[in-house]
Amino acid sequence: MLKPLATRFLQHLCAQNAWAKPQLQAHAGKVIRVQFGPISNNLAIIEDGSLVMAGETATPDASMQISLGLGLRLLAQDTAAKTEITLEGDTHLAADFGKVLQHMRWDFEDDAAQIIGDISATKITETARKTVEAAKNQTKNAAEMLAEFWQEEKPVLAKKLHVETFNQQVDILAADTARLEKRLEKLQKKLIKPLS
Amino acid sequence: MSKSKPLSTPDTNDNTTHFGFSTVDAADKQQKVGEVFHSVASNYDVMNDVMSAGMHRVWKRFAVDISGVKLGDNVLDIAGGSGDLSKLFAQKVGVNGSVTLTDINASMLAVGRDRMIDAGLQVPATQCNAEALPFADEQFDCVIVAFGLRNMTHKDIALAEMQRVLKVGGRLLVLEFSKVWQPLEKLYDAYSFKLLPFMGKLIAKDETSYQYLAESIRMHPDQETLKKLMLQAGFDRVDYHNLTAGVVALHKGTKC
Repeated sequence: MLKPLATRFLQHLCAQNAWAKPQLQAHAGKVIRVQFGPISNNLAIIEDGSLVMAGETATPDASMQISLGLGLRLLAQDTAAKTEITLEGDTHLAADFGKVLQHMRWDFEDDAAQIIGDISATKITETARKTVEAAKNQTKNAAEMLAEFWQEEKPVLAKKLHVETFNQQVDILAADTARLEKRLEKLQKKLIKPLS
Repeated sequence: MSKSKPLSTPDTNDNTTHFGFSTVDAADKQQKVGEVFHSVASNYDVMNDVMSAGMHRVWKRFAVDISGVKLGDNVLDIAGGSGDLSKLFAQKVGVNGSVTLTDINASMLAVGRDRMIDAGLQVPATQCNAEALPFADEQFDCVIVAFGLRNMTHKDIALAEMQRVLKVGGRLLVLEFSKVWQPLEKLYDAYSFKLLPFMGKLIAKDETSYQYLAESIRMHPDQETLKKLMLQAGFDRVDYHNLTAGVVALHKGTKC
């Protein structure tokens, strides 16, 4: 029951984002494994350029792995996170699929409008958007407040400046140790020579 | 005890074949299957809805979704019966495409043809045997056979015919009852051999035909065997989807 539903939704998304079909059509017949945290699924690209759930015996041509942490960063629109997505196998397919996935949008408002009408759908979507935005800001503020508390009031987390200073000191220590090692080697050689 | 019988592979040995759990002359199977479908034709859709709790509509919709059929394509619906799939495909191919509805059974085909006309769809209906399709080579972009392959006497010949009429790059979709997930086998057996004939008797006034349905499902090749048959028939990239815990499987193969 889940497979037909998931496929229906994927097809619907592809129909709403018709621009994606020509890009995917070049890879028709191929299968990509998408792993998001502990959940993984094989998606197949079919002849009309849309996505469906792959069959039981499909072998993936490429795979895309996104950890949960990375997923949260992607949701928070951290642009650096996009470069950390792990792509394997047919990289051309994975890259094209990644691009499509990045720009694909679910036009919820359009779907809701068909059931409850344009005005209600617009209002609901607007309210939902504002709620999500507010929740995102609240989460960000709470995270910043906790970080500040754990850095200043009850130091559990290290400040960026302290970490950088620590890293520099470690580098200096490593260089000093290497120099000392070389000096010791030279001294050992000098001590051995007069004896021989 | 489970009533499942060993699954058969192509049934072309000794000029005999199975008809449910019985063994009959290969030449007689077509007529016997014809009698079953002639008997159930008028109640076919009601029974499908009752037996599957409406799930057959979800399975058929899923088949259309993964077919990859687009505007302008030519689709052949084999053993199309009451025309559910032809109707869905007709919407998908648009006015520049075509859907051809076929069935070996005149009673079933008449139900489908009338329904297409009532829906205002121009779908040619052809009565023919899937083992000798009256179509030219490489004519269709997609061939579908839903709940029909298990009734065919020589599945290997039928699959080869479907391969012949497909264009290169065309797809064959086989939607058919299959081997259910093992933990559910006993429950499924009880449903098939006790409840199904009873419902047939109650609704369609025909217990024997629904007994045959349950038996024919058990005699049909399982998912992997059918996949091998399709590969032997010349299809590539053959894959299948188990639906509703394997009660039904949708096989898809491509002519390369």
